[in-house]
Amino acid sequence: MDTYILAIESSCDETSLSIIKNGSEEISTVVLSQMDTHANYGGVVPEIASRMHIENITIVIEECLNKANMTMDDIDAIAITYGPGLIGSLLIGVMAAKTLAYIYNKPLVPVHHIAGHIYANNLVRPMEFPLMALVVSGGHTELVYMKEHYSFEVVGTTLDDAIGEAYDKVARVIGVKYPGGPNVDKLAHIGKDTYDLPLPLNDDTFNFSFSGIKSAVINLAHNEEQRGNTINKEDLACSFQNRVVDILTKKTMHALTEYGVKNLIVAGGVSANKGLREKLTYLCEKEGINLTIPEIKYCTDNAAMIGAAGYFAYKLGRRADLTLNAKATDRLN
Amino acid sequence: MKYLFINTSTKKLVISIVVDNEIKYDYTDDNSSDLSSRIMPIIDEAFKSTNLKPEDIDTIFVTNGPGSFTGIRIGLTIAKVMAWGLKIKVVPISSLELMASVDSSKEYIAPLIDARRDYVFAGLYDKNLNQIVPDKHILLSEFKSLVKDKDVVYVSHDEFDFEVINNSYDILKVINKHINDEGVNPHTLNPNYLKLTEAEEKLKEK
Repeated sequence: MDTYILAIESSCDETSLSIIKNGSEEISTVVLSQMDTHANYGGVVPEIASRMHIENITIVIEECLNKANMTMDDIDAIAITYGPGLIGSLLIGVMAAKTLAYIYNKPLVPVHHIAGHIYANNLVRPMEFPLMALVVSGGHTELVYMKEHYSFEVVGTTLDDAIGEAYDKVARVIGVKYPGGPNVDKLAHIGKDTYDLPLPLNDDTFNFSFSGIKSAVINLAHNEEQRGNTINKEDLACSFQNRVVDILTKKTMHALTEYGVKNLIVAGGVSANKGLREKLTYLCEKEGINLTIPEIKYCTDNAAMIGAAGYFAYKLGRRADLTLNAKATDRLN
Repeated sequence: MKYLFINTSTKKLVISIVVDNEIKYDYTDDNSSDLSSRIMPIIDEAFKSTNLKPEDIDTIFVTNGPGSFTGIRIGLTIAKVMAWGLKIKVVPISSLELMASVDSSKEYIAPLIDARRDYVFAGLYDKNLNQIVPDKHILLSEFKSLVKDKDVVYVSHDEFDFEVINNSYDILKVINKHINDEGVNPHTLNPNYLKLTEAEEKLKEK
């Protein structure tokens, strides 16, 4: 029998609903992005994000059901991102999900936001285990080993900034508009690798560190300015991107060898990065690694991925009750 | 007729079920912490103890602010989704009006919510809950001079350096005042913060 999950994601600046069949087939997804609003402020303003979520939540629920031509009677369970993320944003989704679960008497399934990003890959093709997941986003840089569904072993993580944060900071330094990451990626493809930047935390662990290279970019821009030189934005973007992509891919390939894993999946907003995609595709082809990267629409925050993760959590019997609270931070589980 | 009353906008949490002008379930407390965890179980208890189901409700009355931004959104999200899902009429109520439902010998009632930096959310109501001065975000001193010639009692859950009464609400009085209100489309049922976010204010100043 088929299982339909209604999923809600509101952890940052996207109000999203999705209906997912059997954890792999997208029936309908609605994403209402607030990006244009937050662009006026140079970044996400949490209070504005919360305000927009509550204004849109029922509209998005209705649109998602209409698009699928389904009613709540057709839904088996409700999956909800409970964290991590912006607490005020998460709360709207969590309260809406609890109310829906309550009035329609449906099971409520809590989903960790990063589990969602990882399971976005199941919408591309069924995940094969054991696998290594490279999670790269505005809040995360992690290597996660999975021997089976919902078994998450974090084998490496960032010791300071997340990769997405480093991108945003570099974007600000070189004067690139919000959202910084995608724009730096674009410039990097035009520029040449001419600037001498350090390879960040180039050691034998699977951990990352991006504060050093971030500072190096800031200092370099500052020094050039002092000398009255203008920096070449494209070249600096390219030099920065080459360095971080080098270390990300180097440690990922090392982890695959160390754990004897042949399946690699990439997850999180930064998996939309073209430089990272190209390098990983090249290396995995060379090494005979089975690489999965979600389509761009599944890389950024969306409820489809929460529905995919929610399906497996539902099958494993994971449930939340009416006391479920939003959590700004929480270990991947 | 069966009514559900939800208030999470002020420091006094209220969940009530009213049937034909009689309070069948009444939950009130002065603890505004951990609302998001506590509120749904209280609503569930309200229905269980009255042997009613959410779909039995004819109208949801919900306060939509002003007050704690997060608090407003918690109750309002529940009311929105419940009203949308079960096609129940929903009527927004000012949280200041709810505070003004106090029993008092004075002619006018002025509810105050501390909004920090010498500002308050305030309004002026008469004993029949008619709004005399619209709810606003205003300097306390300015508001006080606005009502100084009136026979007024200040109502608040916050502390001020003058006398305020910290009242219980008269839910029936509020419901009866709004019993014939038309109700709003749940999609447009939104908080009435009475205040822009700081980021918006700064952007406007530029």
